[in-house]
Amino acid sequence: MAYEPHAAYKSRWLPWLLLLPTLIILVVFLYWPTIDTFRLSLYRVAFLGLKKTFVGFANYREIFTNPEYRRIFWNTAIFSGAVVFFSMAVGLFLSVLVNQKIGGKRFYRLFLIWPYALSPAVAGVIFLFLFNPQAGIVNYFMDTLFKIRPDWLTQPVLAMSVLILAAVWKNVGYNVVFYVAGLQNLPGEVLEAALIDGASPWQRFWYVTFPLLAPMTLFLLVMNTIYAFFDAFPFVDLLTKGGPNGATNILIYNIYRDGFEFFKTGLAAAQSVILFIAVVLLTIVQLRWGERRTHLGG
Amino acid sequence: MKRWALVLGLAAMAVPAFAAQKVKITFWHAFGGGRTAFIQRMVDDFNYTHPGIEVKAEYKGSYRDTLNAAILAARQGNPPHIVQIFEVGTQMALDSGIFVPVEDHVPAILRFQLDDYIKPVANYYRIKGKFNSIPWNSSNPILYYNKTIFKKAGLDPENPPKTFGEVVEACKKIEATKAAPKCITWPLHSWFVEQWVAEQGALLANNENGRAARATDVYIDSEAMKRIMKWWKGMYDKGYYAYTGKPEDWDGSNQIFVSQQAAMEITSTSDVTFMQNAAFENGFELGTGFLPIPDGVERNGTVVGGASLWLTKAHPKKEQEAALTFLLWFTNTENMVRWHKGTGYFPVLNTSVKVLDWQRWFTRNPAYKAAFDQLLQTKLNRATQGALIGPFPEIRTIIENAVQAIFQGKPIDQALKEADALADKALREYNASVGK
Repeated sequence: MAYEPHAAYKSRWLPWLLLLPTLIILVVFLYWPTIDTFRLSLYRVAFLGLKKTFVGFANYREIFTNPEYRRIFWNTAIFSGAVVFFSMAVGLFLSVLVNQKIGGKRFYRLFLIWPYALSPAVAGVIFLFLFNPQAGIVNYFMDTLFKIRPDWLTQPVLAMSVLILAAVWKNVGYNVVFYVAGLQNLPGEVLEAALIDGASPWQRFWYVTFPLLAPMTLFLLVMNTIYAFFDAFPFVDLLTKGGPNGATNILIYNIYRDGFEFFKTGLAAAQSVILFIAVVLLTIVQLRWGERRTHLGG
Repeated sequence: MKRWALVLGLAAMAVPAFAAQKVKITFWHAFGGGRTAFIQRMVDDFNYTHPGIEVKAEYKGSYRDTLNAAILAARQGNPPHIVQIFEVGTQMALDSGIFVPVEDHVPAILRFQLDDYIKPVANYYRIKGKFNSIPWNSSNPILYYNKTIFKKAGLDPENPPKTFGEVVEACKKIEATKAAPKCITWPLHSWFVEQWVAEQGALLANNENGRAARATDVYIDSEAMKRIMKWWKGMYDKGYYAYTGKPEDWDGSNQIFVSQQAAMEITSTSDVTFMQNAAFENGFELGTGFLPIPDGVERNGTVVGGASLWLTKAHPKKEQEAALTFLLWFTNTENMVRWHKGTGYFPVLNTSVKVLDWQRWFTRNPAYKAAFDQLLQTKLNRATQGALIGPFPEIRTIIENAVQAIFQGKPIDQALKEADALADKALREYNASVGK
C-alpha cells in the first residue's frame, strides 16, 4: 500500500476508542439536548412536563405573530448590535493604547483584563448598586454636578443603555486580550515601511493595522455575538428583570422566563431553536464574508 | 490487646449499622442569608431530639427556583420529602400531582394542631375544607415609617397615614419641608396590587377567586384596579414614589428606606426584625402602621402571603411518616414562637399567640403588634381569602409590566385592558395544558 491513511495507528478502531470519551460527552451534553429541544419545540408541555401535546408549528406561529415576541427580537437586535460594536471598538482602542511603548503597560493590561475575570453575576450587582436612582453613586455625582437624578432603570432607553454598558464593560477585557496578542504579532516591517513612507498615525492604523487585524476582528465578531446572545442573562436578571415593561427583555432572558418561571417548556424550546438557528446563520455569513475580507490583509 | 481490637472492630461495624437505621429526610426551602442559619439551628435541634430521623435542610434559591427545582426533581423520580412553596404556587402544586394532601396523613393524636391555626391562615390554606400543606411562614404588607423624618416634616409621628389620600397629604409636607428626598417606596411587585384589591373587597379572578371552582377569568381591568393605578401613577408623576427601577426588588426598596432616602416604605411584615435592627444602626426611630388603602372604601383586610410546606408523594411509608413528624414539630407552638421572634413572620398558631401574649411580647415590641393586629382584623371573605390561579407567577409579571407601562404614560384603561387580555390568555393556556 503506497498510501496509509491510518499511519499513526495500527488498528482502525484505536482512534475511535480514543475519541470515544469526547464523543460520549458531546452526545450526552450537547447533541442529545439539542435534538430534544428541537423535538420539544413542537409540543405544548404542561408545566410539570408529564403531559405533552403535539402541536406542530403552533409555538413558532405564536412567536412570529405575537407583537410581544417581535419586540423581544427587536430588543435582542439592538442589545446585541450595540454590545458587539462597542465592546469591540473600545477593546481595539484600548489595545492600541496599551500596545504603545509606555511605562507600566503591564499594569494597564492587567487592569483592563480584570473585569473579564469577574463573574457576570458580580458585575451585575456592581452595576445595580452604581445605578440605584436613590442610593447609587452615579446619581450622587449626577446630583452634585448637574442637579439631576435620572431614573436609570425606569426609562426604557436609559435601562437599555445601562444594560449595554454593563455587558460591554464586562467583555472589553476579553477583546483586549485578543487584540493585544494580535497587535504584537503584526509584521513590524510593514508598519515600518508605512512610517518611512510618511503615513500619519491615523493612516497607519486604518490602512495597515486594521486590515492586518481582520482575521482577529472576524473571530471576535463571532465570539462577541455569541456572548451578547447567551451570556447577557445575569445582567438582565439582576438589573432590570426585562423591565420597564419588557423594554429590556431579550431572547435569552425570555427563554428562561417562559421555560422556568412560567413553565411553558414548548414555547421556550421553540425560542431556543430560533436563537440556535440565528447563531448558526450569523456564523456562516461572517465566515463567508470573512473569507473574502481576510485575504486583503493576509 | 487482642480483645480491645475485637471490641474496636465491632464498634466500628456497629456505627454505620446504627447510622443506617436513621431515616433521612430532605427539606428544600427558599430562605437565604441569616435565615438559612436560623432554619439550620432549628433542624439541628430536631435531629438532636429525634435520634431516629436525620433531616437535611437545603436552600434552593428564590420561591420560583425552589418550586422549579422540586418539579424537576419529581420528574426525575427523586423529589425531596418536604418542599416550601409560595402561596401563589398553591394551585400549581395541587395540579402537579406530586404532593400528598397533608391533612389525610396527620395522625389523630396531632390533629389538634390543624385546628389551632389562626383564622386568616386557615382561610387561605384550607382549600375545599382541607389542608393540602402545612402553613409555615406567613406575612402581610404593612407601612413602615421613619418617625425622625416625620417629626422633621411636622407630621404626627404616632399617627401614620391610613389611606391613599393621607399618604399624598403626608408626601406634600415631606416635600415642602425637604425632610427626605423621596416620600415613600415599595417594591414594584404585583403582591401589593393583589393586597389592595382584597382590601377593597374585590376579587382577582372569577369563580369566587378560584375557590369555588377553577378560575377561568382574571379581573385586571376592574374598578378596584383602576383606583390603585390612578393613585400610584399620581404618586410616581409627582416624584413621591421611589423604586429602584427593577421589578420585585425587595432589597432595593429596603435600601432606599433604611438609608433614609424615603420617609415611608410598604413591605412585608417579615422584615420587622430586619427593620428594627437597621433603624437602630442608622439612628432613626421606626414606626409601623396598617397598609394604607383607597379612600372611601371599607377596610376588608389583607391576604395571607408567604409560603407553606408540602409533603411529596412516592416515598416509603416510613420516610413519609418521619417527614410528617418533622413538619408538625417544625411548626408546633414553641417553634412558631421562636420563628416569629427571629424573623417577624406571623405566629400562625393560636397557642403561639397565647404564649407571646403571656410573655407581654407585643406590648414590649409594638412594631410587631401593628403587623399582627392588621391580620387579626381581617374580614374573612372570598376577597381576603386570596385567589387561586394556576399561572399566578406569569400573571404577576403581566401586572408588573402594566404598572411600568402606565408609568411611561400609557392610559390606565388601555394598559389594564391589554393586561387583562394577556392574563386571560395565560390562564386559558394553563388550564388547557393541565387538561381542565
